Amino acid sequence: MKDSQQGNIENLINDPSFINWANKTQMADVEFWNQWILDNPHKKQLAYDAKDVILGIKFSKKNLSEQKISESWIQFEDKLNALTTVRKIPFYKKLKYQRIAAAALLLISFTLFYVIDNSTKVLHKTAYGEIIDIKLPDGTRVKLNSNSVLSYKNDAVREITLKGEAFFDVEKKPSTHAKFVVITNDLEVEVYGTSFNVNNRNTTTQVFLEEGNIALRLNNGVQKNMIPGNLVTYSYKNDKIVEKEKVLRPELQISWKNGSLVFERSTLESAMRKIEESYGMTTVFEDEESKNTLITGAVPIQNLEICIKTIEKSAQVTIVNKYNKLYIRKN
Amino acid sequence: MKNLVDFNLWTALKSGDLKAFSTLYKVYYPLLHNYGLKISNNNIGLTEDCLQDFFLYIYQHRENLADLNSIKPYLFVSFRRSLFREMKKSLKKVNFDKEEDFFIEINFSAEELMIEQEIVCFKQKSIVKLLNELSSRQKEVLYLKYYSDLSIDEIANVLEINYQSVLNLIHKGIKKLREKALLSELLKNIV
Repeated sequence: MKDSQQGNIENLINDPSFINWANKTQMADVEFWNQWILDNPHKKQLAYDAKDVILGIKFSKKNLSEQKISESWIQFEDKLNALTTVRKIPFYKKLKYQRIAAAALLLISFTLFYVIDNSTKVLHKTAYGEIIDIKLPDGTRVKLNSNSVLSYKNDAVREITLKGEAFFDVEKKPSTHAKFVVITNDLEVEVYGTSFNVNNRNTTTQVFLEEGNIALRLNNGVQKNMIPGNLVTYSYKNDKIVEKEKVLRPELQISWKNGSLVFERSTLESAMRKIEESYGMTTVFEDEESKNTLITGAVPIQNLEICIKTIEKSAQVTIVNKYNKLYIRKN
Repeated sequence: MKNLVDFNLWTALKSGDLKAFSTLYKVYYPLLHNYGLKISNNNIGLTEDCLQDFFLYIYQHRENLADLNSIKPYLFVSFRRSLFREMKKSLKKVNFDKEEDFFIEINFSAEELMIEQEIVCFKQKSIVKLLNELSSRQKEVLYLKYYSDLSIDEIANVLEINYQSVLNLIHKGIKKLREKALLSELLKNIV
């Protein structure tokens, strides 16, 4: 067993995300590691060996009956009472145990310190159609929408990098006034204790503020302060800012949090764009009429079948799903 | 969380609290009982006598016990040592090169393995036979990991070998088991 290989099997079997892959829980982790194996074919055997170690052998545990345990305890108590002599431990023996324990504790505490000190990157990923709740080490709660990636370093847990969409419920830190920052390709959001939505898809980032106050540092140097109800859209690539003073229906901005997309007189075209983002599919309109149909209602983000059926009913269209492309035609 | 409970229990026990001791006893008696049977090759008499003496010893020497954060590996290794001593005495044998490996002959029975296994090729009936063909060391490590649910660190403490050796034993043991299982399936199909 080569040393380098050994070191890696240890990392894998202790990695919570890898364990998820081995147990086939958490879709995002399963996809991540499947891809990792494709990208690192020389590590394929190692991964499967590690998986075997994690899955292991399932034993059928025969537990002693409560009765047997109680009986033996009674026996024990009897023996205890029968003992009249109390052995005195010689002084040197006492010291020996203490020295060994002290050395062991010292070793453990050093190892622990070394492990914690290393700055590691934490990554959260969602697959299409998946929404997860994350609690960051500082207490901030985040809802990560589908097909998104959130990451931060262990030594800077209030600096979050986001690709995709997430809703943040930031934990205020009044004692330290610690800033909470969300970073995307277009801008940085600085908060002090607030709830807001960040949507970074393609080449645009859209920020909607629900409560509190936020300072946006756009990547072109401009700073914008936001108050609740504000919606700001900015694209660094196109250097374009769009501001909305007060959004009329704020709940529509963050309806995805409840697992559904809500549309109010949206064109089918714009509605499908949001659905594309959530499910990772492309839409092909077979006629102009269907594009401009207005729909009002809610569709689920986590169930493609129901979503399609709902849209078909609401817009009076027929949708055919072929190779991840949705073909839409007016009835 | 688990270690905080352990620590409080251990501290209470050290100061002579019999109730704390009975809690410890009732939790660990069944675990060590099963472990003892495994190591002594199902010698119930020897295991139970040794277990009682072991707990008596702990209780009597409670004031001088070290401050522990984690009780389980400590109990396992101490019990292992004392049971081993008793086994040597009862066998009255000397002059073995690798004494330990000679004495400890672990055997698994078919009822101990669940029919439903995560590793698919382990589902076959012959898996117990193949498991018993592994080395004593490998069997004990696999028992401690997958039956007693000890971590690799804890197993290293119990067997008094290093982390790497434990990892190796588990890795090689499972791999060997898999290879044998696949081979036996293959042969079955040919016949």
